[in-house]
Amino acid sequence: MMKIRFAGLVLLLALPWSLHGQGLAKAESFGVAVRTATVNQQSPAAVLPPDGSVVQTQANDVTVGTFVTAQDAFATATGASDGALSDAVSSATLGTVNILNGLITADGVVAMASSTVGNSNAEGSSLGNLVVNGVPLNDPAPNTRVDLPGVGYALLNEQIPTSGGITVNMIHVILQQPVLGLFGQVTGVRTIGDIIVGSATSSVN
Amino acid sequence: MTRLRLLAGFAAIGAGALFAWSCEPHPVLAPTIGGPQFHFLVFQCQPLKMTGGGRIDFPPGTADKNPPASHIFETFGAHVIASGQVVDGTCVADKGELEWVDHRDEMRLNGSPLNLHATAVTFAELAVDTDCSDGAVHWGGQLRVQNTGQEGLHFEVWDCDNGEPGAGHDGFAIRVIEPIDGLGHYEVMCPDESLPPAEPSCTLTGGNRQFHPTH
Repeated sequence: MMKIRFAGLVLLLALPWSLHGQGLAKAESFGVAVRTATVNQQSPAAVLPPDGSVVQTQANDVTVGTFVTAQDAFATATGASDGALSDAVSSATLGTVNILNGLITADGVVAMASSTVGNSNAEGSSLGNLVVNGVPLNDPAPNTRVDLPGVGYALLNEQIPTSGGITVNMIHVILQQPVLGLFGQVTGVRTIGDIIVGSATSSVN
Repeated sequence: MTRLRLLAGFAAIGAGALFAWSCEPHPVLAPTIGGPQFHFLVFQCQPLKMTGGGRIDFPPGTADKNPPASHIFETFGAHVIASGQVVDGTCVADKGELEWVDHRDEMRLNGSPLNLHATAVTFAELAVDTDCSDGAVHWGGQLRVQNTGQEGLHFEVWDCDNGEPGAGHDGFAIRVIEPIDGLGHYEVMCPDESLPPAEPSCTLTGGNRQFHPTH
C-alpha cells in the first residue's frame, strides 16, 4: 500500500515535467540581420518567453552600414506551451527595404511562421514590389534562387523545415568571394557573410 | 438538526443559483450599434485561454491575401487568460496582451503604421453561438496608441479558433470604442454572415489562433 502511494506521489511530481517536455512552443523573429567578418547586427528582434505571451519590438528606421536600410520594421513572437494544444506564431514586417545600395529593393515585406503540433507553415508571408538587380519579381515561389554576379546569390521566400517547425527568410543574400589559385585563376567561391531581411521561426516539439 | 439541514439546503440552493447566474449569458462591453449581428451574441463565463497571432487582409478580410505592395493588411499577436470569475456582472480576465499593427497607408500616424498596444485586458467571455469549431472568445480592455501616446481607449475583439491550420480558418476582429486622435473611429470587422467562420471576425491569411478550454 505504501509503495503504491509513493508511486502515485512520484507520478504527480513528474507530471508537470512531462507536460512541459511535450509541446514546447518556440517562436522568434527579426527584421534585419547582417553577419560578416566585421559586422554582426540584428534589429529589431522578438523572442517568445518561456511562459508564453506576446513580445513585439519596433524600429522606424534600420540602417546597417552600406548593407541594408529599412523602414517600419516590426518583430512579433507569441504562443503557448500546452501539450497537444501548443502553438507558436512569429512575424517580421518591413516597409521599404534597400539592400546593397539598390541591388535589391522591396516595399512591403512580411515573414510569418506558424506552428501547432504536427503542423507548420509560412502562410501570410509576402514580398511587395520586389526588384532584384533591376528585374521585378512578383511573388517568388519558396526557395527561389537568383544569382548576383560579383556579390553571391539571393534566396527569396526561403523556407527551411526544422524539427517541429519552420524558418522563413523572405530575402536572404549570401555574400561570396572568389577563391584564387596560385596563378590568379578563380578556383571557386567562399561565403564571407550573409544578409537576411524578414525572418520568422516557429516550432512545437 | 432538521433546522440545520433546512438551512444547509437553502445555502446549497443559493450557491447553485449563484453558479448558474455566473454561467448565464450577460452583457459586458457587447455593443448594440455596429457590433455583431449573427454570432458572438451568447456568452458563458468559464475558465479559458486563447493564444497566437497572425495576419488579416482587411478589407475585405477574406482568406485571400491582397497584393503585397498594396500594404492592405494587419498583423497582430494576442492572448487572453480568464478564470471564469464574474465581478460586478463582468466576466473578468486574469491577464492578456494585444499587439496590433495596421499597415494600410491611410492608417499611418506620425509617419508610422498604426500600432496599438493593450495596457489592460479586463474581460473575456466564451461565445457559444459561433461556428468556430474549437472555441470563440469575446474579450477586451484598454489600449494605448503607440504612435501618439494616446491612452485609455477601450477595445474589444472577437476571436475565433476554427481548427488547423489557422490561415483560412481562424478569425479575428477588433474595434476601438473611442475615436483615435488623427484617425477617428477605428475597427477591423467583417460583418458578413457568409464569411467563415463567425461574423464579425475576419479570416486569417496567416498565423493561428489557439483556444485552450482551461489553463
